[in-house]
Amino acid sequence: MYSFLLALLAAAAFAADNTRVDYGRDVRPILSENCFHCHGQDAKKRMAGLRLDTYEGATAQREGRAALRPGRPKESGIVRRITEPKPALRMPPAHSNRTLTAEQIATLQRWIAEGGRYSKHWAFTPPTRPGIPTTATPGWTRTPVDSFVLARLNAEGLRPSPAAPAAAWLRRVSLDLTGLPPSPERLAGFAADLNTRGEAAYGAAVDKLLESTAYGERMAMDWLDVARYADTHGFNNDAARSMWRWRDWVIDSFNANMPYDRFLTEQLAGDLLPEPALEQRIATGYGRNHVINSEGGIIDEEYRVEYVADRVRTLGMSWLGLSLECSRCHDHKYDPITQKDHYRFYAFFNNVPEIGEDGRVANAVPMIPAPSNEHRRRMEELEASVARLDRAIEARAQRWSGDASRVPSAPKTADGPAVRIGCETDAGFEKAPGVDGHACVLAADAKPETAAVAVAKRGGLTLAAWVRPGPDDRDAALLSAMDFARNRAATTYGNGIEWRLTGGEMEFRFGQRFPAYSTRVRSEGAGLAAGEWHHAVLRYEGEAGANRGHASWVRMFVDGREVAARTLNDGFPLPDAKGDKPAQTKFRAGWDNGPGAPRFTGRLDEVEAWERALSPAEIRAMFESRAIPFARSSGEGRSWLRDAAMRASDPAYAEARGQRDKLHAELLALRRSIPTVMVMQEMSPPRETRVLNRGAYDAPGEKVEPGVPEELLGAWPEGAPRNRLGLAKWLVKPDHPLTARVVVNRFWQQLFGQGLVRTSENFGVQGESPSHPELLDWLAREFVDSGWDVKGLIKGIVLSATYRQDSSVTPALVARDPGNRLLARGPRFRLPAEIIRDQALAASGLLDAKVGGPSVFPYQPAGMYKGIVVAADYPGTSYVESTGGDLYRRGLYTFWKRTAPHPAMTVFDAPDREFCVVRRSSTNTPLQALTLMNDPVFVEASRKLAERAIREGGSTPESRLARAFLLAAGREPDAVESRVLREAFDKQHAAFLADAKRALALLSTGASPRDESIPAAELAAYAVVANMILNLDEVVTKG
Amino acid sequence: MECGNYSRFSSRREFLSRATCGLGLAALHSLAAETPRSFPNFAPRAKRVIYLFQSGGPSHLDLFDHKPAIEDRFDQDIPASVFGGQRVTGMVAHQDRFPIVPSMYEFRRHGQSGRWLSSLIPRTAAIADEICLIRSMHTEAINHDPAITLLQTGSQLPGRPSLGSWIDYGLGGANSNLPAFVVLNSLPANGMPDQGLLSRLWSAGFLPSRHQGVQFRTGADPVPYLSNPPGMTREQRRDQLDGLAALNRRQHERAGDPEIETRIAQYEMAFRMQASVPELADTSNEPDHVHALYGEESRRAGTFAANCLLARRLAERDVRFIQLYHRGWDHHGGLTEKLPALARDTDRASAALVLDLKQRGMLEDTLVIWGGEFGRTPYGQGAVKPQSYGRDHHGRVFSLWMAGGGVKPGHEHGASDDFGFNVAENGVHVHDLQATILHLLGIDHERLTFKFQGRQFRLTDVHGRVVREILA
Repeated sequence: MYSFLLALLAAAAFAADNTRVDYGRDVRPILSENCFHCHGQDAKKRMAGLRLDTYEGATAQREGRAALRPGRPKESGIVRRITEPKPALRMPPAHSNRTLTAEQIATLQRWIAEGGRYSKHWAFTPPTRPGIPTTATPGWTRTPVDSFVLARLNAEGLRPSPAAPAAAWLRRVSLDLTGLPPSPERLAGFAADLNTRGEAAYGAAVDKLLESTAYGERMAMDWLDVARYADTHGFNNDAARSMWRWRDWVIDSFNANMPYDRFLTEQLAGDLLPEPALEQRIATGYGRNHVINSEGGIIDEEYRVEYVADRVRTLGMSWLGLSLECSRCHDHKYDPITQKDHYRFYAFFNNVPEIGEDGRVANAVPMIPAPSNEHRRRMEELEASVARLDRAIEARAQRWSGDASRVPSAPKTADGPAVRIGCETDAGFEKAPGVDGHACVLAADAKPETAAVAVAKRGGLTLAAWVRPGPDDRDAALLSAMDFARNRAATTYGNGIEWRLTGGEMEFRFGQRFPAYSTRVRSEGAGLAAGEWHHAVLRYEGEAGANRGHASWVRMFVDGREVAARTLNDGFPLPDAKGDKPAQTKFRAGWDNGPGAPRFTGRLDEVEAWERALSPAEIRAMFESRAIPFARSSGEGRSWLRDAAMRASDPAYAEARGQRDKLHAELLALRRSIPTVMVMQEMSPPRETRVLNRGAYDAPGEKVEPGVPEELLGAWPEGAPRNRLGLAKWLVKPDHPLTARVVVNRFWQQLFGQGLVRTSENFGVQGESPSHPELLDWLAREFVDSGWDVKGLIKGIVLSATYRQDSSVTPALVARDPGNRLLARGPRFRLPAEIIRDQALAASGLLDAKVGGPSVFPYQPAGMYKGIVVAADYPGTSYVESTGGDLYRRGLYTFWKRTAPHPAMTVFDAPDREFCVVRRSSTNTPLQALTLMNDPVFVEASRKLAERAIREGGSTPESRLARAFLLAAGREPDAVESRVLREAFDKQHAAFLADAKRALALLSTGASPRDESIPAAELAAYAVVANMILNLDEVVTKG
Repeated sequence: MECGNYSRFSSRREFLSRATCGLGLAALHSLAAETPRSFPNFAPRAKRVIYLFQSGGPSHLDLFDHKPAIEDRFDQDIPASVFGGQRVTGMVAHQDRFPIVPSMYEFRRHGQSGRWLSSLIPRTAAIADEICLIRSMHTEAINHDPAITLLQTGSQLPGRPSLGSWIDYGLGGANSNLPAFVVLNSLPANGMPDQGLLSRLWSAGFLPSRHQGVQFRTGADPVPYLSNPPGMTREQRRDQLDGLAALNRRQHERAGDPEIETRIAQYEMAFRMQASVPELADTSNEPDHVHALYGEESRRAGTFAANCLLARRLAERDVRFIQLYHRGWDHHGGLTEKLPALARDTDRASAALVLDLKQRGMLEDTLVIWGGEFGRTPYGQGAVKPQSYGRDHHGRVFSLWMAGGGVKPGHEHGASDDFGFNVAENGVHVHDLQATILHLLGIDHERLTFKFQGRQFRLTDVHGRVVREILA
């Protein structure tokens, strides 16, 4: 009965302004909901050959009749069938569980009587700049936004609410733009500024908020939901991943007010920009935030397809406001998006060199090292110092005129290699001139192997060889003990250890299901060029007791000096350390058993394997012990001789050299420590994309090329490449019908609690119509014409009279417009999960305002993962509480484990981030009450708020309680409230005085020390009242 | 309607009883857009459900599905005609052959119904005449995550609401002091299982998040943050909440937002839960004969037995949907060592729950379900011996039982083929099971829908058929 009443009220509110029936507003929703399922664009599901979603289809003559005869409802099949008395013939049929109301039938009849005209769905037509309405009571308006709102209110016979008190506006706008409450000082400063400058104070206050780094954090929160950011991979194993560098990119971009078209482009296709900067590549993490499955036994392709489909879904939700996944299995039932359209979008995202089963212990491929700015600064310093020393060394060497033949012999190591192929007698090789006697050249069809080497995954290993690649050695094994197998899903993977030469670099691979679950490290600048002899060394030093392998265990040396290396995959799983016996491993020399594996065609000499990690000095000695005699006898490698001789005879040179090697080692160590981030990357050639029948990975159909539904949503930009970059260009075309509307609508939603289009995830025909279509279009046009200026857009909205309205409401207005769709009052809704936390921390003074960095582990009830997470010791499967400031970081930095998110987040409606979410629900539950009452962070914040109030709030209980109230609610309590607070304090104080132990117990919650200068019973009583304040509806609500 | 000022009420109690006068409006405000059509659609057979979910994939061939025809075919290949287009997991994809491994456990007939059941589950066998055994369950999924997600949400991919959330959404709770959808995770008696569970299995998906399952855990706080902080008494909390209500009331006078009324009521519910939940979770005052029925491990919180007993206590308090999880059934290798332990862990308490409900007259309107996300392969994984083998995941056919709540007792539905590989007759797909569970609760599964992203979603997607043959 209530909902019926409500429907009537809503209908009255929304249909009153126009007498004529409007197809888009009034008719299509009825047809779409009730008819298009069987009479829409999906030809496979179409019944009786009748199509009602186009004028041509509806008016087509079928056996001398037509479903639609414009102007003649009685002769139209539609009307006949929906008013059919016999239930068996009536439309929609009973089995559809749909029925038309009398009102809907009347609307359809009127529509046909008025001509039965169709129109293109509003959202598929580019927004044009509407004229700003003139209203009878213009005095209220401050910005064009207000004119649109007021015109609508006038039409509805409503008046706007008076402006909220200035302090209430400041609290509202502070929470909206920074997620933090205004401090008492800020409130007082604003009041003073208002006195002196009047209206200008509002704009200045907004500017101050927009300049704060907290602004970027607040803006990032909503985007993290959309872009499904999390700190774990999801699915069964749900191991940790590292995407925080991407998250920080989002924060930084909002803070720098990056134009939104760039914000979009860099996330979608930063890697495809000309000479992309590191930050632009990090931005593409947007495309890799999806869940990744590492469950043993899954079929790779099945999940790889899911990842691509997820990118399409997220694209649709992020910027098109369309549910593109509906067309994954069949043509969209409602929106004119065909299955083929879906796979043309899909083709843009189908070229990532990724693997279905990945991410068990770390990031999944492809990934890049992503140094922070701090890292980068230090790296640049070191690089500059190394370069400077290199130049000095080179200059000194050029001037040197000593005798290169006077070189001391290198010291010998105490032990010898476990295995050595000297290339004098070994079978399977042909002989050629080597570094020391003969070199090995792989004989045709030969499959030589080394003797067994004991390889311990947590132990040490050094592989060394003199290498002279042939001209065709682009990619070949040097030493391989990796066994490749091909499974039934036609996926090839390797198990074992391998040392390769690839494009002049060396590469180390170690893993279980290579390329998944493996560590893979490649040198950078090794310079192992064809036709040149070089000494290459791979050094591996495992760590006893480690639960997974690390790329940082691997170091690479060329000609006695360490070279830079980068991690391609990291963290292969290690078996239980208890059974950690070294495996007797024979290496294939110069070949491997991978599919279609090329063989090494150049020369090898003095191939050695050591069952320990040699020190850099030992590696240098090993090099020189052969390099120097070889250089003397062959004439190759003059610089090696000179270097050795100068180090022995020129102390200044030796010192510079030593200094250079030290700084270089530091640089490489720093590089090894930097985090990685998963990014988008293009394969060359791209994968072929086919329509997948029913969306199934194993049912490929027609081949498709990347493209967009141009007829529906606008032409492909001229000259744009057919890749993600072109797609981004298409999306930010000034006349794109959806992008700007969808984006401004979401910002509106952030400020008003709901979008102008309430279904912010769906602008399609099944979505809700905008409450203020002209306002939406005006904002979209302004946004684009301003150069996609986000701060400008937001500033314009929060300074409007609409936003400034008081949010209180009368019963009559609630009844008239329960959801505040007409905007006759200010926005009012419960704060998001993160901000509830941030506000309590800020009010109490506990907040650690550090921006960015790895996610943190605030208090969480013990054992939340118990009974849920996988038993294996993968990263992210145990929750180890942070210490120090990291306990008090903002909510958006809380470690986001997808299968077990923090309970204080989920209880306040935060999603688990497995998928893109553009609109959170907002519930009101007893579990929320329990969280605010008892979560240790709120108990601790209550204590710190109490201490702060005592410190700052004068000497009487009233003044101190007022201070606490002001810190949390942004205003002073009135007399009645003051009395309630005082009475509550007195009761609690008496209770704690009666039992001092309990006061101490309460004050012991939380890691921060208590202020011992305050008597315990008194502080405890203040803390309980402070907790009451943090629980106030007014405090958890933005009003 | 007229809601008065706090100051006008003479006592807190009167204020609180009157405070609900605003609640009708509040409910109207926050629920109007999402209230489903009225349910139940017809007279329900079950008022509540206890789902004993056996995560990991219990072997139907070693527990429920007697296959005499393969008893003497050890190590022979599964005929290609039977194997068909089976999708095999990556774990056995490299095996060159798929040798049959008959169950090493003895099967016997039990009860008047003469049900064949394995010697591993003697207590379940003893209630053979109470249970309705489905031996023709099937699913497309071949790995845990998609299979569990399908069973619990109707889709292999994450993002949809769980069964319990749908039921909560459709029917709501019957006890205003407890959530309608409660989740219990069990720790097996013999250490940690290997498969993870996912909170999304009790997530509300796109339904309003208040419909998500509330996990009751072991320890001092069955619900997160239930207990007052150390040093704070219940009386102090009462005083604090009285002050809070007064201030919220004041705020309501000022702002008029009906949500404030709801919030006041939710704090009262929270306060009541602080008393009712620990009382309910404390099974120590259950008489000895009850603990004897469920097994002595029912005295140890967090065990499967303790959770079965707790489930009965929740059912007594009219919690609508009680989702219990037991993990550890994933026996790729060493099945013959691990399966008996898992069966021991669950057999007695599962049967005890059915008997206990029956003794209390609650079985007729309480539906108990026992089963996993799939079964296990008739062929062995890795090296096989007659007395020592492992089995891979198998979704083409598996078994599941139900009891009470409107299903036929002592009944058997469907059958697998001679190999226990494919459905031979009357297949029951996961969506059919879901449709049937909803039907027993009086819900037409095609009518329990929620509009999201422009589409009406339902638990059974566009599938599902009520298995009328098993309805009592």
